[in-house]
Amino acid sequence: MKEEDNLLILAGVLDLVEAGAQGEAYLQRRRRLNIEVREGRVETLQQAGDHGLGLRVINDFRLGFAYTTDLSREGLARVAAQAHANAAAAAPDEYRRFPAPAPPVEGLFLYDDAVRQVPVAEKIDLALAMERAAREEDGRVSIIESSVYQDEEVEVAVANSGDLRQTYRSANFAAYVALVASADGDSQTGFALDQSLKYGDLKTREVGREAARRAVGQLGARPVQTREMVVLLDPYVTGGFLGLVAPALTGEAVLKGRSLFAGRVGRQVAAEHVTLVDDGTLTGGVSSAPVDDEGVPTSRTVLVEHGRLNGYMHNTYTAARLGGTSTGNGTRGSFKSTPETGVTNFYLEPGTADPAALMSDLAEGFLVTEVLGMHTANPISGDFSVGATGRLIRNGRLAEPVRGVAIAGNVMDLLLGIEAVANDLRFIGGIGAPTVRVKRMHLSGH
Amino acid sequence: MANKELTVDKSLLKEALAAALAKGGDFADIFVENKRTTSVSLEDARIERVQSGVDNGAGVRAIQGGTTAYAYTNDLSREGLVAAAETVAQAARGGRGQRSIDLGNLTPHLEFKVERRPDEVDVAEKTGAVQAADRAARAVDRERIRQVMVGYGDVIQEVVIANSDGVYVEDERIRTRVVVQVVAAQGALMQTGLETSGGAAGFELLSLEKPAEMADKAARRAVSMLEAGPAPAGRMPVVMAGEAGGTMIHEACGHGLEADLVLKGLSVYGEKMGAEVASPAITVIDDATLPGRYGSYRFDDEGTPAEPVVLIEKGRLKDFLFDHFSAQKQRRRSNGHGRRESYQHKPITRMANTYIDRGDMDPDKIIRETGHGLLVRKMGGGQVNTTTGDFMFEVAEGYLIKDGQRGPLVRGATLTGNGPDVLKQVTMVGNDLGFGTGTCGKDGQGVPVGDAQPTMAIREMVVGGVTGASGSPRIRRL
Repeated sequence: MKEEDNLLILAGVLDLVEAGAQGEAYLQRRRRLNIEVREGRVETLQQAGDHGLGLRVINDFRLGFAYTTDLSREGLARVAAQAHANAAAAAPDEYRRFPAPAPPVEGLFLYDDAVRQVPVAEKIDLALAMERAAREEDGRVSIIESSVYQDEEVEVAVANSGDLRQTYRSANFAAYVALVASADGDSQTGFALDQSLKYGDLKTREVGREAARRAVGQLGARPVQTREMVVLLDPYVTGGFLGLVAPALTGEAVLKGRSLFAGRVGRQVAAEHVTLVDDGTLTGGVSSAPVDDEGVPTSRTVLVEHGRLNGYMHNTYTAARLGGTSTGNGTRGSFKSTPETGVTNFYLEPGTADPAALMSDLAEGFLVTEVLGMHTANPISGDFSVGATGRLIRNGRLAEPVRGVAIAGNVMDLLLGIEAVANDLRFIGGIGAPTVRVKRMHLSGH
Repeated sequence: MANKELTVDKSLLKEALAAALAKGGDFADIFVENKRTTSVSLEDARIERVQSGVDNGAGVRAIQGGTTAYAYTNDLSREGLVAAAETVAQAARGGRGQRSIDLGNLTPHLEFKVERRPDEVDVAEKTGAVQAADRAARAVDRERIRQVMVGYGDVIQEVVIANSDGVYVEDERIRTRVVVQVVAAQGALMQTGLETSGGAAGFELLSLEKPAEMADKAARRAVSMLEAGPAPAGRMPVVMAGEAGGTMIHEACGHGLEADLVLKGLSVYGEKMGAEVASPAITVIDDATLPGRYGSYRFDDEGTPAEPVVLIEKGRLKDFLFDHFSAQKQRRRSNGHGRRESYQHKPITRMANTYIDRGDMDPDKIIRETGHGLLVRKMGGGQVNTTTGDFMFEVAEGYLIKDGQRGPLVRGATLTGNGPDVLKQVTMVGNDLGFGTGTCGKDGQGVPVGDAQPTMAIREMVVGGVTGASGSPRIRRL
C-alpha cells in the first residue's frame, strides 16, 4: 500500500466526524513471517497480513473510541457511528485533546528491506542453523521446544482533525530458542532471544548457544536453606523488574494514584548508580519511531538520573492534566486500543564494571538467572514474590545451580538497594538492562 | 442466531480448502471469525473509556507430515481466502493432496442459554453497573480507598469452521466479564483487592455476580490488607479453600497434561500414563461443557464437539488433553481441546474448565484437623515450568491457621512447589467446589479458562512471604 493511500483512508473516515467534534484516525498494516523448526524440520510456517483502523472522537469533551478491520465505505461508516455513540456514554473531561502537528524525528533507520527481499528458504535455514548451534553447544541438550525466526513489517499512518498527518514504515527481526537439557534424570529449561532492526545483525547462532548454556548450567539444581544473601540479577531478570517499574513512571499512573513515584520529583528514589531512560529515538532500538501512536515526535526522556526522579512519561492527555508536554510516549497495543502512556525503549544505563567484577568480592551470594511469576508482582504496591532459579556465588565465583526458592520484596527497596551496575546492557524487546548487584535479600527455600 | 453478521458460502470454503491442498498436504482447515467487542472502563469515579469494535478475519491451515503451514487475512472475499490458501499450499507440498471434500453440518449437541444478549443491552445499563461498583467500593472506607478501577467487557464471536475431513461448524460464542480492582493506602503503604467474574454468558452474568458486591468484597480485602501482618516464610501445611479458585490445579498439573507438551517431551507427566501421579483422593476433570463457565464452549476451535475429559482418576493418570494435530500423532481422536485466540493463531492444545472433583469432608473439619499452617482463601495468578513441574502462584487472601482455627490475615504470601509432588501430598479433600476465571497465556495466545477445586489440605508447601497481594488475574505458562 502506498503512504498516500493510507492517508486517503484516514481522510475519508475523518470526513465522517460530526461538525463540532474532533477526530483522530490511526491505521496499521502488518505483514508477518513466523518460522518454527524442530529436529531439523519446519514445524510451523506462518505468513500473514492484517490491517485495521482505530478512530477516536472527542465531542463535547467526551472521548469515544471504536475500531474495525473493515476498511470499506460501510466499515468506516460503522466505526464512525460507534465512536460517536461511545463518546456520548463517556464522562466529559476538559483535558481531552489531540496533538498539534510537529516535525517527526528524522534520520532513524527503521526499515531493512531484507524483510521482503531475503527469501523464506534462507530464513528457514537460519532457524535450522540456530537449532543445530544449540545442539552442538552441549550434548546434554535433549529437546528443542522451539527454534523460531520471526520478522514483521508495519505501516503506520495517523491523522487528526487538526492538520496532523504522519506516516512511516518499519521492520524488525527476531529469533529465539527454548530448549531442555537433561542429565542424570534431571531436566532443566533454557531460553534465549535476540531482536534487531537489521536482518544482518540478528545473532541466531549465539541465541542457540546461549539457550543451551542456560539450561545446562541449571542441571542438578536444588533448593537452598532459607537465608539472606547478596543477590545479583542477570539482564533478563533485571529487565523483568524494570517491566514492573516502568508503568509507575507514567503520567497515567501518577494521575490515577497508583504510582509509587507520585509526588517525588527531585527526590532520591533509587541508588546513585541508577539512571533510567526512555528513548524513542534510540539508534537500533526495536521500539524506535519518528512519532508515537498519536503522531507526536518521540524523544529521549531521563526519568531517574543518578537515583533522583526527574519526571514521568507522558502522552498528550497526561501532559495536559499534569501541565507539561507530551514526551512522545502515547503508545497503543494495536489499532484496537487507544494511545495510553507506555514505554518505547526503556533501559537502565550500564555501568563500567564487568559482570564478573560484581561478584569477585562476595564470599557468598546468589545470581538469579530466571524468575517464575514476575507477572504476578503488583505494579501498584511494588510488592513481588517470585520463584527464582540461578547459581550460588561462593568465594567470588559461580558455584552450584539453585532452583525452587522464592525471593520477595518491594521493587522500590530493590531500586534503592542496587549496589552496583555492570556494563553488559542488553535489550529484550523494548526493555534494556545490565546485570545488577542488590544488597541482601531474603530467600525462602527449605 | 440473532444479529448474525458472518456468512460464508460453503462452496467458497470448499474451494479454499482444495486450494490449500493443491500441492499436497494431508489435512487443511479454515477458521472464519467475526468478533465484536464492547468495553467500558471506569477510574477516578468517572467513565473514562467506552470502546467497541469489529474484527473480521480468516485463518487457513494445511498440515503435511509434521509441518503446519498457516496464513491469515482480514479479506473475506473469494480472492482473499484463496490467496491465503495458496500461501499455505506453497509450504505444504507432497503427501495426499487434493481430493473431493464434502462438507457436512454439525449441529450443537449442547445448548448454552444466553438470557440477555450483550448487543441488545443499552450501553447506559453497562456504564450504570460499572458506576454502581465504584460507589460500593468507595462506601467501604471513604478515607483509605484511593482508587477504584472497574472494567466491563463483552464479546460476541461468530465462527465458521470447516476442514478437509468434511467437518463444518457454525457457532456463536458470547462471553461477558467484569473486573474490579481497588487500591487502599495508609501512609506509604498501598494494598489492592481484586475481584473478577466471567462466563460464557450474556449480561445476566451481572445479576448472578453483582459488580457492586464484587466491589465491596475487593474493597474490604484491600483495606484489611493494610493492617495485615507479613506472611511467614518457609515450609508449612497449607489448606486451600474451595472458594480460592483453581489456579493451583491449572498450574500444578493442567499444563503438564496438554498433549502438545507431552509429545514434545516437555511434561513431567509424559511417561506416566496409568501411574499414580496424585493422592488417591484426587480426581481431575476438564469439562468444556459446563453451562456458563468462562472456559466453556460447544465446539473447540477446530470444530470438535466438547466433552468432559477425566484426566486423573483417584490419583491415577488416565488421559491427556488433545487437539487435532497431537491426536493425529497419537493415532487417536481429539477430545476437543484445540483452541486459538483468534483467526491470527493456529490452534494448540488448551485447557477449558479444569477442576479437582469434590470429596466428602466438611471444609471446617479440614481446617480443624490441619491444626496450624496457612489458609488460602483467594488465589492470584501463577506460572509453571512444565518440564520440571515447578510452579508458583500468589495468595491474594491468606490467613494463619492456629489451633485448628482461622487466625489473622497475612499479606504477601506466595506458594511455590512442584506439581506431582504437591498433588501426592493432598491429605484431605472437601465437599465444596469453587470456581475461578482467568485468561491463560501459552505460546503468545490468550484464551478464557475456568478452574475450580474443593477445600484441600496439603501436608507441606514452601510459602514465600513478606510481600503484598493480588496483582493481575492472568495465568501464564512459562
